[in-house]
Amino acid sequence: MERKELEAKVLELVAASYKKDVNELSMETSFKEDLSGASVQMVALVAEIENELDATLMLADASACATISELVDLVEEEL
Amino acid sequence: MSILDQLYEKAKQNPQKVAFPEAANEKMMQAAYETGRDGYIIPVLVGDAAELKRLAAERGYEESIFTIVDIHEEAYKNELIAKYVALPETRLKEKALGRRMEDPLYYSMVMQAVEEADVTFAGIDNTTGDVLLAGQMIIGLKPGISTISSIGLCDIPGFEGSEGSLLAVGDSAVCTNPNAEQLASIAISACDTVASLLDWEPRCAMVCYSTLGSGQGELIDKVTEALKIAQEARPDLAIDGEFQLDAAIVPAVAEKKVKRESKVAGKANVVIWPDLNVGNVSVKLIQQFGHADAYGPMLQGFNKVVCDCSRGAPVSEIKGNVVISAVRAAGDKK
Repeated sequence: MERKELEAKVLELVAASYKKDVNELSMETSFKEDLSGASVQMVALVAEIENELDATLMLADASACATISELVDLVEEEL
Repeated sequence: MSILDQLYEKAKQNPQKVAFPEAANEKMMQAAYETGRDGYIIPVLVGDAAELKRLAAERGYEESIFTIVDIHEEAYKNELIAKYVALPETRLKEKALGRRMEDPLYYSMVMQAVEEADVTFAGIDNTTGDVLLAGQMIIGLKPGISTISSIGLCDIPGFEGSEGSLLAVGDSAVCTNPNAEQLASIAISACDTVASLLDWEPRCAMVCYSTLGSGQGELIDKVTEALKIAQEARPDLAIDGEFQLDAAIVPAVAEKKVKRESKVAGKANVVIWPDLNVGNVSVKLIQQFGHADAYGPMLQGFNKVVCDCSRGAPVSEIKGNVVISAVRAAGDKK
């Protein structure tokens, strides 16, 4: 999968898990400052990534990502 | 009879199926065997069947005590997957679930989710984080609950509270710095836990350094906001505050400080700390100066009973926690 395509897919999954409009999100969106989600939402996101992209992530690794861009990097490594 | 002895007796009256995904572990298999042999639970060992059978034989255990589930057996695995994905609001789809189920921890939780087991008991090889993640991913949180948390049950010599020497306290182990919504969830979950485990009618006090406005500040505001959320979400429960600890559990102090009707003040049987700093320090104070036995932590907030034991736990402690979790599961079915 091309990087751009992967970015778009991950943005879509983040939006669904955190119940945000995808247009409000970018690669620079910070999980802590902009999304302020609970761990439950990160669990939902990791599950969605497994379902849709066939990449199994460790929750600890995903939770350590500061931005969506870092999460895309992590998914890319797992694909 | 101690509270633990009472719970052992209660477990025996209605033994539950407990899935052990770490059964190859020597201590875990011993705990599963002894609680199964003595009729407290029905132990279900989940893993590589050939290895588990070999280990059971080597360790001198009668295989007939165990139900052994082989995670490599495709037909049963597929049956579980089909049942699981048909449940409402599950997170993982077939392919991802099948992959996760290569891990006995996930396999056991799927069995539990589809009611082939009543409890998943783990934590001796898996970390607490592993157990919590699997629980959130497979079992999920109870509707309306925003965080996993825990309570402990303290048996305090000389304490004459509304349940004798017993007092349930939480959260002293899991949720570090709950916001108001999470604190409300901890209180609600704690009430449900003591009702299912002990058949208590919960009287839950949310404590801090103020009683009904005697102090002011943001630390108190969080507790009063949490109280409001909890009372609105579950008007059927007796949750009250904000109280200082003595006003919560000592009738004479409550009489002086709480000048209004309260089902809880002075007779709380559940105490909810404002954060983990308070919870951790308080439990250690109760243990050190009150010479109390503290049972737990019991995880709560999941849709079904998930239990995480300490990695250094001796067999006697594991058995106690297995029995506690089985009694909770039986209580949840009522």
